[in-house]
Amino acid sequence: MTLLLIIFFLAAVLIINLPPKAFFKKIAFWLALFLLLLQLVFVFLPRSLWTGLNTLCSSNNFSMVQDSLSMVMLLSIAIVGLVALLVAKAHIKSENKLFNFVCLLLLCCIGMNGMVVVTDLFTLYLFLEIVAAAVYIMIVFEKNQNAYEGAFKYFILSAIATTLMLAGVGLTLSTVGALSFTALQIYFANTAQISAGATIGVLLFMAGLFIKSGLVPFHGWLPDAYQAAPNPVSILLAGIVTKSSGVYALVRLGMLGVLVPESLKTLLLAFGAATILIGALAALWQKDFKRMLAYSSISQVGYIVLSLGAGTLLGYAGAIFHMFNHAILKSLLFVNSAAVESRTGTRDMDAMGGFAAKMPWTGATSVIGALSISGIPPFSGFWSKLVIVIALWKAGLHYYAAFAILASLLTLSYMLYMQRKVFFGKLIEGYDDLREAGFLYILPSVILALITIGLGIGFPFIVGTMLMPVAIFNW
Amino acid sequence: MQNELLVVVIVFLPIFGAFFLPLIGSANEKMRNIFALLMVVTAFLASLMLLPEVMRGTVISVSFPFIPALGLFHADLLAVFMAIVSSMVGSIIILYSFEYISHYENRNEYYFMVVLFLGAMMGLVFSRNLLFLYLFWEITAIVCWRLIGFFREKKYVLMADKAFIVTVFGALMMLIGFLMIYEQAGSFDLGTIKENMKGTPISNVAVFFILFGIFSKSATLPLHTWLPDAGVAPSPVTALLHAAVLVKIGVYVFARLFVATLVLDDIWHTLVPFIAAVSALITAGAAFIETDIKRIIAYSTISQLGFILLGLSVNTELGIAGGLLYILMHGIAKGGLFLCAGIVEQKTKVKDITQLGGLITTMPITAISFLFCAFSVMGIPPFGGFFSKYMVVAGAVQGGHPIIALVFLIGAIMTILYLFRLFNLVFLGELRLDRSEGSSVMTVSVFLLAILSLAGGIFVSYPAEVARTAVVQALELVK
Repeated sequence: MTLLLIIFFLAAVLIINLPPKAFFKKIAFWLALFLLLLQLVFVFLPRSLWTGLNTLCSSNNFSMVQDSLSMVMLLSIAIVGLVALLVAKAHIKSENKLFNFVCLLLLCCIGMNGMVVVTDLFTLYLFLEIVAAAVYIMIVFEKNQNAYEGAFKYFILSAIATTLMLAGVGLTLSTVGALSFTALQIYFANTAQISAGATIGVLLFMAGLFIKSGLVPFHGWLPDAYQAAPNPVSILLAGIVTKSSGVYALVRLGMLGVLVPESLKTLLLAFGAATILIGALAALWQKDFKRMLAYSSISQVGYIVLSLGAGTLLGYAGAIFHMFNHAILKSLLFVNSAAVESRTGTRDMDAMGGFAAKMPWTGATSVIGALSISGIPPFSGFWSKLVIVIALWKAGLHYYAAFAILASLLTLSYMLYMQRKVFFGKLIEGYDDLREAGFLYILPSVILALITIGLGIGFPFIVGTMLMPVAIFNW
Repeated sequence: MQNELLVVVIVFLPIFGAFFLPLIGSANEKMRNIFALLMVVTAFLASLMLLPEVMRGTVISVSFPFIPALGLFHADLLAVFMAIVSSMVGSIIILYSFEYISHYENRNEYYFMVVLFLGAMMGLVFSRNLLFLYLFWEITAIVCWRLIGFFREKKYVLMADKAFIVTVFGALMMLIGFLMIYEQAGSFDLGTIKENMKGTPISNVAVFFILFGIFSKSATLPLHTWLPDAGVAPSPVTALLHAAVLVKIGVYVFARLFVATLVLDDIWHTLVPFIAAVSALITAGAAFIETDIKRIIAYSTISQLGFILLGLSVNTELGIAGGLLYILMHGIAKGGLFLCAGIVEQKTKVKDITQLGGLITTMPITAISFLFCAFSVMGIPPFGGFFSKYMVVAGAVQGGHPIIALVFLIGAIMTILYLFRLFNLVFLGELRLDRSEGSSVMTVSVFLLAILSLAGGIFVSYPAEVARTAVVQALELVK
């Protein structure tokens, strides 16, 4: 029962803040670990938490979805949450701060889990605000000037986004008459009757989501926020928060058939393509490891949006798959950067070189992450990009498909730049006693790397079962 | 059933085996070397065992486990021929590496990458699906990137990145082409494509895009610049990647797609030979000017690839068979040249040929081997290269391109000149640097390749027969 995933996390936040505080401070980390593992179990065994609560929910008009999109999101949330938690344990030394982080993480998970299972636009908006509130505080975790600047930017742009979304919700409600997903689906299924008001309502809501997911030209907040946030928070932000608070809703609207009007599709395609290009070009110029990854995130979100613009089932499948891959890969690369920073204390790529010789695990996993996100087979990133490209191609959008293929070259360029500067090369002077980062950095990066390898090699097996029916993906 | 198993072993033994090599290597270096060699030799022997079966015209198909509709591999004579060539040259190069690479660091990574590379090559050769072909194609690019930057110098890593980006660019263009084939033929499966496309020429735009990929991998003008730069890799790697195996991927895919699967529009039968001619001439000129021993041989590779491409693209049986045969002969001979250059370079620590000279007195075996391999590349009878070059040029004349054939004759003469120049400056004349012969393992390897070059010429009827049958089979199936 998906509701339990919200209730458990909520209960956990409440309980650990009760006295005796000293005791709960000690177990907070383990409790969060347990809950996230529970969420993992739930995703693979969806009936495991069934307790008859569904009758309660339906009576209160609060229903939940439990389709494959939600499941993929819950899975990504659990994985990225776990990774962030482990890195936080290594990164945050003070017990008090770690406790604060765990509380905020749990809060964030409540919001994200809620968002991906609710069935109407307004509740989705509510949970989105919970996530945002937790994230503002997380970004300023270190309380330095950069952090305040990043959080402030995020705060202001989020305020604009939520205003737009709320206006969109209102407009949609007044024209469609309801906000539940089923009502929207029925309304938009009949293309003849779509009124201008409803289209504008969706458009406003979409504009808000564009800001939240950091699409160009609304991306200004994102690199600052990612860079200023402490490493575990960056992992969380890049891996899952922007995806679930912005992109997920877009995918959901797409799957409901809301994004059918041609104008909306064109908008998605144009914004997606611009985001891919500008994000990648900006990433090419970065010297700061995390900032480069942040711009790379922007660029990859562009792929997801572009895929939605295809407006076909295959396009949605590609978007979901790429979202999952991105969650895995970007967390992996952020863990790598955190591992390097934990040993060298710097993020300036010009001051690094040949670290793979001293940090073999970090080096090897970063190669896998970099190649996978650049869409090089046999890793999973290749397949999701391929699905996106085929979807675009089949939808008749040949130029966009060609663009998506060739833009991978830009991704590859900045990832190779990173490899050349940081890992691949001769060890620079002064780092002779550099050691491999701690176990808590190695474990998540190895697991994430194994996931991308496994998905990449096993793709032909899972393509027919989990991701999409074989019929739409014809070998 | 047994044959299917053989195909699976040929591909997956090196690919999965490669992952164990670093583990074995951290316990015992000798064991790792022997295992690496064994895996590739096994692949070679298994390919040989497939030969009699596929010579009879059977095509061995392997499906994806649990998904019978999804074809994974198919082995026809063309594929088996290619597998034999690459695994044979690959085995000798690994043997040579035993000694060569023992002087450097990161040996575990080296063997891992080389064996993985050969496995990916086998996978590419046998792939039945364009997507799997692309997949293996990119694995070879990854390996190539790691190996070119193997010495980790800043400049070398830059060269590695260049090679990676150029070949990936080509591959991505090729992927667009594959999508067009997919649209036109309705499938990525080569068998299905062949069925659906019988007789209809493939769209020119698709061919254009795919040629980008082929030219980038086979280092044909104007996408060739990464290859001479990639000479910074360890010598056995250069031999493996840039002579024997990697650059042959492009021409193999050309043969696989445009000879054995699809019908090309007539214009390509003029245009591709033309590009090949320009590429062969210009890079032969570059080989004259260069003074770095490995860069000369690299430019020579680009030039000779023009011959192979010419043979494959002139649309006559003789030409195509000549092209295939030259893949074999050039692989052996050029591999030998690079390995000899490796011995010279490792012993003298000099790459500039103007500072070398007279090495024939101190390195007689290397010098003789170099000469034999050079004879083969030049096309001097009775070495293997002569027959294949003859077939290619004769095929071009038959196909109605006498002028292009003439240009290639000029190219062949230039080959003779620059290789003699190289031999003269390095091995003849006054002895400048007194260095002893390379270690026995290394000299044995190059000598083996030299003997193979000669034997390939003397017993040319056997490989030529295989190449001819492969062409007949391939063409028969298309038409």
